Amino acid sequence: MSAAPQAPEARGGWTVGEEAKRGRARRRHVGRAFAAITIVPVVLAVAFLATLLGGIVTDLFSWQVVASRNSAESFAWRQAPFGGDAVVRLELAAQGVDAAEIESTLDDPEQRRRFFARNRVEFMLYTDQGPFRWVVTNMRDRSIELVDLIPGFAQRSDLEAALEPGQRLLLNPWLDGGFFQRVASRNAVSAGLKTALVGTLIVILGVVALAIPIGVGTAVYLEEYVAKTRLARLLEVNIANLAGVPSIVYGILGLSVFVRLMQFGPSLLAAIFTLTLLVLPVVVIAGREAIKSVPSSLREASYGLGATRWQTVWRVVLPSAAPGIATGVVLAVARAIGETAPLLLVGAAAFVPYMPEGPFSPYTVIPVQIYSWISENSAEFRHVAAAGIATLVSVVGALYGVVFVIRRRLERTRA
Amino acid sequence: MTPASGRAAPHALSRRANRSRSEAIIGALLFATAAITVVTTVAVVFVLAEETFQFFREVSIVEFLTERRWTPLFAEAHYGISPLVLGTLLVATIALAVGVPLGLGAAIFLSEYASPGLRRQLVPWLELLAGIPTVVFGYFALLTVTPVIRALIPGVNLFNPLSAGLVMGFMILPTVSSVSLDSMQAVPRSLREAAYGLGASRFEVVTRVIVPAALSGIIAAVLLALSRAVGETMIVTLAAGQRPAFTFDPRETIATMTAFIVQAATGDQPQGSLSARALYAVGATLFTITLSVNLIAQAVVRRFSEQYE
Repeated sequence: MSAAPQAPEARGGWTVGEEAKRGRARRRHVGRAFAAITIVPVVLAVAFLATLLGGIVTDLFSWQVVASRNSAESFAWRQAPFGGDAVVRLELAAQGVDAAEIESTLDDPEQRRRFFARNRVEFMLYTDQGPFRWVVTNMRDRSIELVDLIPGFAQRSDLEAALEPGQRLLLNPWLDGGFFQRVASRNAVSAGLKTALVGTLIVILGVVALAIPIGVGTAVYLEEYVAKTRLARLLEVNIANLAGVPSIVYGILGLSVFVRLMQFGPSLLAAIFTLTLLVLPVVVIAGREAIKSVPSSLREASYGLGATRWQTVWRVVLPSAAPGIATGVVLAVARAIGETAPLLLVGAAAFVPYMPEGPFSPYTVIPVQIYSWISENSAEFRHVAAAGIATLVSVVGALYGVVFVIRRRLERTRA
Repeated sequence: MTPASGRAAPHALSRRANRSRSEAIIGALLFATAAITVVTTVAVVFVLAEETFQFFREVSIVEFLTERRWTPLFAEAHYGISPLVLGTLLVATIALAVGVPLGLGAAIFLSEYASPGLRRQLVPWLELLAGIPTVVFGYFALLTVTPVIRALIPGVNLFNPLSAGLVMGFMILPTVSSVSLDSMQAVPRSLREAAYGLGASRFEVVTRVIVPAALSGIIAAVLLALSRAVGETMIVTLAAGQRPAFTFDPRETIATMTAFIVQAATGDQPQGSLSARALYAVGATLFTITLSVNLIAQAVVRRFSEQYE
C-alpha cells in the first residue's frame, strides 16, 4: 500500500519530511474530495424523488378559465359547508328556478339523477369571486384556458382582467372526493377513478388470496420439507430466475394461457392469475428468509414434545416467521398494484365506464387507467392522470410505510 | 396417553397412522405449490418457443437477424429485429450510464461514510424510489423531463430515448446501490481494520480494499440493473416512442422490444396472423437476453465471490 509510512532517511533531513507532509496533505485532499463526491448520488436520488413527487402535487391543481353554459355564479363555503343539495338549491335559484320547482326537482329521483349526470358540484380553492367556493360545472361548459398552478399565481390578475361576461376563473383541485365517485369519461372534467379503483381492489384481493398460500407453501416446502438435494437446488435457481423475468413476459404468458387457452378472455380472473405468478417470487423469497431466521431451538423443542413436522411448521415456525412473511406479502401487493405492462396484455381496457360484474367481466385497474389518460395527450387529461398517480403513489407509499414499521419492530425484538 | 389405559394403545396407533397420512398429504400439497413455480417457467418457455417456431416457418432467421427494418404492422412488412434491439440497448446504455455511477456512489457513501443512523434514515427512501410504479416514471419522463431536455438540446424529438434513459437511470439506481451495499457490508471488518492499521486513509480503504473485495457483488448489481433496464416497459412506451428506427442517435424517436410488444398487443392483430406472432418472436428475444444476463450475474456471484471464514 502506498500509504506505508516513510522514514525520513537517505536523502537527508527536511526535504523528505516536506515531501511526506505534502503527500499527507494531498491524500487528505483526495480523501475529502472523494467523500464529497460520494454524497452527490444520494443527494441527487433524493432530489429526483422530491422533484417527481413535487411535480405530481403541483399537477393536481390547475387554473381554468371556463365559459359557463348556465349560471356563472359560485357560492361561498359558508353558504353550503358540505356541498351536495345545498349547492344545487343555490345554483338552481341563481338560474332563476323558483323555490317550489327546485324542491320538486330534488325530490324526484329521476330528475335528480339527471341533474347529477349532467352537472358536477365542485369545491374550488379559488374563483374570481373569491377563495373556497362551490361551483356547479356543466358538461357543456367550454374550457377557454388552462394554466399550470405555479405560473397561474403570476398570471391570475391578468386572467381575471380578461374575463368576459359568463366566464369564470377557477383554481381546480383535480383530486377531490368526486374523482373517486366518477367513472371513465371522454371528457377530462368528468373523468374519474371509480371503475379502476374497484378493479384494482378486486384484483389485489384475488392476488393476495392466491399468492399467500402458494408462496408461503413453496417457502415452507423449500425450507422445512425438501432435503438439500438437486431438486431443491433446481427449485431455488428457478425461483431466482423467475424473479428476473420482465413483467411484460408474464403478460405474454397470461395472454396465451389464461386469456386464450383457458378462455377466460380479457377478464379480472386472467389479471389475477397473471399477477399472482408475477409476485410469487417476491413472497417466496421473503418467506424463506423469514423461515430461515426462526431459531432451530424452537423447532427442536417442538419435535421434542412429539409434534409432527406440520404441527411444528403450523404452530411454531409460521407464527414466529409471520412478520417477515407479512413484509413479503405487502411488498408483493405494492408491486402488483403498480404493474401496468402485463395487464395491458391480458386485457385491462383503457375505457370501462361501468363496474365489473363478475370474474369474467371486462375491467380496468388504476395504473392502466393512468396510462390511458397520459396517452390522451391533452393538457386537461394530464391533470386527471396526476390525480390518479397521486392516489397510486399514496397507496404504494403507505404500503412501504407498513413494511418499514414491521421491520423496525423486528429489529427491536431481535436486538 | 396414560400408561394405565391398555385399550388406548390401538387408538393411539391409529391416530399415529392418521397423523402420518395427513402429514403425507400436507407434504404433497406443499410440493404442489412449489411445483407451480416450475410449471410457470416451463409454460413461459413453451408459449414463447411454440409461437416463435411458427413465426420462423414464415420468416427466415437470416431476415430476422440481418434486416434493418421492423414494420410488421405495415402493409409492406419487414421483420428485422435489429432496430428494436438497438433501441433497447440505446435506452439501457443511457440508463446504466446514469444509474451505475450514481448507484455505486450511493452504496459507497451509505456503506463507508454515513453513520449507521443516517444509513437507516436514507435506505428506506431508496427503497421507495425502487417501489414507485413505472407508469409514474413514464409520466415524469414524458411530461417533466422531456420538455426540459428539448429546451436545452435542439433537435430532440418529443419521444426520445434520452429522456426515457435518464429517468430509467434513477429507476435502476436503487437496484445498483442496494445489491452493491449488501456486498460491501459483507466485507469483513478485519480486512478494513488491517488496512487502516497499515495507515491507509479512508479513501484508500474504499478504493483498494472494499470495492475490490465487493467487486463480484457490484458486477452482479450492474447486470441485474441491465436486465431490469432491458425488460422495462412503461417508461419507454410512454417516453421513447413506438417507431422502430435503426439509429444510434438518442434524439430520434425509437421503439424498444417491450414497447413493440405493448403496441402489438393493444392493437387488434388477428390471432395466429404473422404480425401477431411477431409479438412472440420479440418476446422470446427479450426473454433470452434477460435470462442470459441474469444467469451471468448468478455465475459471477458464485464464481468470484470471496469466501471469508
